[in-house]
Amino acid sequence: MTAAPIWLTIARKEFADALRSRMIWGIVVIIAVMTSLSAGVSLLVPDVDGGVEMAIGGASQFAGLLVPIMALIAAYLAISGERESGSLKVILGLPPSRGEVLFGKFLGRSGVVAIGLTLGFAVSGVVTAALYGGLPVGAFVGTTILTVLLGVSFVGIAIGISAVTKTRSRAMTLAITAYLGLTLLWDLAPNAVHLLVTGEMPGEVVPGWFLLLQGFSPTGAYNALVQRLLLGGGTAVEARLGGPAPGYLDPAVFVVIMLAWAVVPLVAGYLTFRRADLS
Amino acid sequence: MDTGSLSDARGSAGDEPVAIQTRGLTKRYGEDVLAVDDLDLTVYEGEIFGFLGPNGAGKSTTIDVIMDYVRPSAGSATVLGFDAQRETRAIHERVGILPDGYGLYDRLSGRKHLEYAISLKRATDDVDDLLDRVGLDASAADRVVGGYSKGMTQRLALAIALVGDPELLILDEPSSGLDPNGVRLVREIARDHADRGRTVFFSSHILSQVEAVCDRVAILNRGRLVAVDSIAGLRDALGTGSTVTLTVDSVPDSLTVAAIAGVSDVAVDDRTIRVRVDEATAKVDVIDRVRDDGAAVLDVTIEESSLEDLFSAYTGDAPRQVGAPEGER
Repeated sequence: MTAAPIWLTIARKEFADALRSRMIWGIVVIIAVMTSLSAGVSLLVPDVDGGVEMAIGGASQFAGLLVPIMALIAAYLAISGERESGSLKVILGLPPSRGEVLFGKFLGRSGVVAIGLTLGFAVSGVVTAALYGGLPVGAFVGTTILTVLLGVSFVGIAIGISAVTKTRSRAMTLAITAYLGLTLLWDLAPNAVHLLVTGEMPGEVVPGWFLLLQGFSPTGAYNALVQRLLLGGGTAVEARLGGPAPGYLDPAVFVVIMLAWAVVPLVAGYLTFRRADLS
Repeated sequence: MDTGSLSDARGSAGDEPVAIQTRGLTKRYGEDVLAVDDLDLTVYEGEIFGFLGPNGAGKSTTIDVIMDYVRPSAGSATVLGFDAQRETRAIHERVGILPDGYGLYDRLSGRKHLEYAISLKRATDDVDDLLDRVGLDASAADRVVGGYSKGMTQRLALAIALVGDPELLILDEPSSGLDPNGVRLVREIARDHADRGRTVFFSSHILSQVEAVCDRVAILNRGRLVAVDSIAGLRDALGTGSTVTLTVDSVPDSLTVAAIAGVSDVAVDDRTIRVRVDEATAKVDVIDRVRDDGAAVLDVTIEESSLEDLFSAYTGDAPRQVGAPEGER
């Protein structure tokens, strides 16, 4: 018998379940179709200066909206669903600890999302290359990696939600709230703060903290990083600021923000789940 | 009525290895739900221990604490010498459980369930052996659990509990959803497991299931332990004994059975004489005396008082007078 770590056994099972339920293929197809379409759209709009970077940017914009919801759906029931059905009692009656179950599920579902996104992007990469007669491989691969990171952040958020909720319906409520809050409503926050601080809405040129606040959500950080990647260096940021970019707008900061969005909910979920009464 | 904490009937044995021990175990949910109240329980290795009580008595909550599904409000529990809250891994490696209110994975086959449990427990069981022990055939095991009947699901859950030949097998209401064959199977599994020198902790609200298989029984009511004893011991303690029913050709005018030592009650109805006896030896005396009194005995039936009777005596609102001294506070 190979004595694989327990969390790895759990992760593998989660992954096998996703293959069996075809969840992973759903992710591949949706991402492939939607990103290919949005990459193709800029060809159809006549006035747009349709470079291939622009096409990838369009696809990433779409992915920024789509990936969070797919990752949330892929993982929000990971623990709460098992808690409601009672299978958690069977698993936790076996040697796995609660931490191992949580970590194994995070890993397994992250793997599902990561592989689904990578395959989906691979398809749309081929489509984009065919449409534009070429593909900036570095920028495309970078965008794919960032999209995977975005997916993993939201899997962390979803597992965290799943760990603190007792029922499926409660987990769903929190998942929807997280999606709306972090993906759709977050953009309003910097504007609102700007209005409060300066008394007017942000104009062409904005202060540095405005961009930091914008990039503080996982999707915001993702957009900031993809923009840097596709438009090259910090020129776009400097143009927006009307001057040199402060250190806290370094890409590394946004990478840390994305990682933190995966880790912090996971740890918070664990601390609650560890003490929870499962009856 | 406050029966107080019962001292363990076998407490004097002292150095026998202990499978489960709770000390002052208390579990409170919120402000006013007291699920388990100051429970002191000792289960020894190698016995089949019955854990009886009506639904809501706190049986599952006790098991939940033992398995670390919930945390006690006060007191402690040890399993095979390990602390239930701090040494959970060591316990779960040595214990097999059929939990209350469990679920399985609808999309996974029975076989996959067992393979998963075996790999998580790092056991070396053969899946087919396990299936065989619980009476699930191989073709059923290859189907997904979503299509299983309640009885098949219960058998599979039982097989999962048996993975790794656990030192302690905890069965929480194992017979629910099973047909009579399944109920018998659960008893056989429990006996078989005990014959291997293992311990079985068997919770149920159905007394006949426990009565047939357990060495000792604890009765729980409203979170409190009301009795711990062997089934025979419980009978003695209650003094309900048994009932001898005689069918005779005609009831003699001078029936003197009531005078026999050990007879507590005599009832005559038409040609039937019902005699309650508290001592086993009195049964034969009753038959002899009825004959001596001049009746021809046509039929004899002897009923041991069921655990049901004992049970209602312990947990009912108006408990019968108990012969053995109670731990009144």
